[in-house]
Amino acid sequence: MNQTGGTLLRVQNLEVSYGAVQVLWGVSLSVVRGQVAAIIGSNGAGKSTTLNAISGVLKATSGRIVFKNEDLASLPPRERVRRHISLVPEGRQLWPKMTVEENLMMGAFPPKMRKNVKANIARVYEMFPRLKERRSQLAGTLSGGEQQMCAIGRGLMPQPELLMLDEPTLGLAPKMVDEIFQFVRDISNQGVTILLVAQNVNYALQFSHYAYLMETGKITLEGPGESLLSNQYVQEAYLGSS
Amino acid sequence: MTLIDFTNLLVSALLLAGIYAVMSVGMTVIYGVMKIVNLAHAGFMMLGAYFALELFQRFRIDPIIAALLAFPVLFFLGAAVHWVLLRRLPRSDEPTLPSLLLMFGLWLVLQNLGYLIWGNTDRSIFTPRTLSVVSTVRLAVFIAAVGCLLLLEVILHYTWFGRSVRALIQNRYAALLTGVYEDRTAGIAFGLGIGFAGLAGGLLGSLYSFDPDFGRPFLIRAFVIIVLGGLESISGVAIGALVLALVETFSILFVPAGYQLAISFGLLALALIVLPGGLASLLAKVRRVA
Repeated sequence: MNQTGGTLLRVQNLEVSYGAVQVLWGVSLSVVRGQVAAIIGSNGAGKSTTLNAISGVLKATSGRIVFKNEDLASLPPRERVRRHISLVPEGRQLWPKMTVEENLMMGAFPPKMRKNVKANIARVYEMFPRLKERRSQLAGTLSGGEQQMCAIGRGLMPQPELLMLDEPTLGLAPKMVDEIFQFVRDISNQGVTILLVAQNVNYALQFSHYAYLMETGKITLEGPGESLLSNQYVQEAYLGSS
Repeated sequence: MTLIDFTNLLVSALLLAGIYAVMSVGMTVIYGVMKIVNLAHAGFMMLGAYFALELFQRFRIDPIIAALLAFPVLFFLGAAVHWVLLRRLPRSDEPTLPSLLLMFGLWLVLQNLGYLIWGNTDRSIFTPRTLSVVSTVRLAVFIAAVGCLLLLEVILHYTWFGRSVRALIQNRYAALLTGVYEDRTAGIAFGLGIGFAGLAGGLLGSLYSFDPDFGRPFLIRAFVIIVLGGLESISGVAIGALVLALVETFSILFVPAGYQLAISFGLLALALIVLPGGLASLLAKVRRVA
């Protein structure tokens, strides 16, 4: 499972509108199996919209979302979960009045995935022992960092081949940010392909094999993480150095 | 007031609360999952009452059993209504005008179907138990009501369907994201809500007389209960039902019984002004102060 190479996900000319307002204008990107890809950009650039369209919660008005040679664009979200694609959404989006364990269980909702629920919960607990301690606590009573762990744990429940993370460290204490990124690194080392959206540009670029810069609904720059990190425009506009 | 009077009133309030909870819980489930205010709830309650009456008159089936049988029948009716009509409504995280109009229209249609089939005379279900000294009917109604509520609570907490219902109530976006099949869950949830309406109608039918307009005053009570209980919590409904039943029952000591509905309305207005978040928000406030 750990081999690198081959395109796992290819998004072609993706367009998405909210009502009459178009937010994505022909976005194309691809993610190589086993690698970490990042999308960076400022607020409202369309990063979250892109992830939501890949997960199927938002319907694309046009374009292709090809995962393992299959176009997913017309499939509902549950069919994409069944194909082992999962999204850890911005702001965690847990069910506040369900227990930690119920939140995790729901992560593998499609009927055919339920037989592995116990084993997958055990794996998540192994990775996040703190969640195990709080398994019967309501998710709404967890601290921010614990909620993020729970959200990542839920995202791991469908045994993802592609794990999308939307701002996993937003609003967390600096120490927690390091911890979460370490978890993401561990997940990546287990062979899971990752598509990361982050405002923490420095972190995201150091972290990723390949990165895309998104501005007002379009990809305006792309390249290996380090090359974007040293790109003068990125440095001036997003890293605040002159 | 003697202690015995007080106990009498307390017991009858409790018994009333059971049935109030049953009639409101269906609306709560429907609102929580679909964000639809089921204005047609009274229509389905009326169908449940006539269903129990027909079974009783034609087959001599005990009205409480008949009310329980109304549950599955109304469940399938509700699921069918969802499939044919509600599935086509625009999705929203808030109640929409089209959904209100649709449900109101449905109520009118059901009501007039009732007039067409059963006419406008008052009907009642009369069994030897109805006039017994100890009101065994009320007790049986209460047991049936509480039993069904407990069953619902078990389903909501220990089945995949139940978890998908709670997931849709608490965060619809996350539910979709993890693969909940919204149309299916909502269809079953609407069926359950209508099933509870039918059950409530059948049970109320063995306590009060009814005609095709049956349910209107109860719809208003259900609104009071839901507002008191908070719009999306099942245990809140039980508390709201208990509060309303207590207030209505004990108000008889001070105002004529004919004003009961005015008391419900007053409570609704009061709740909306003082406690827009329901009793749960009051508890949270108390906890914060303490």
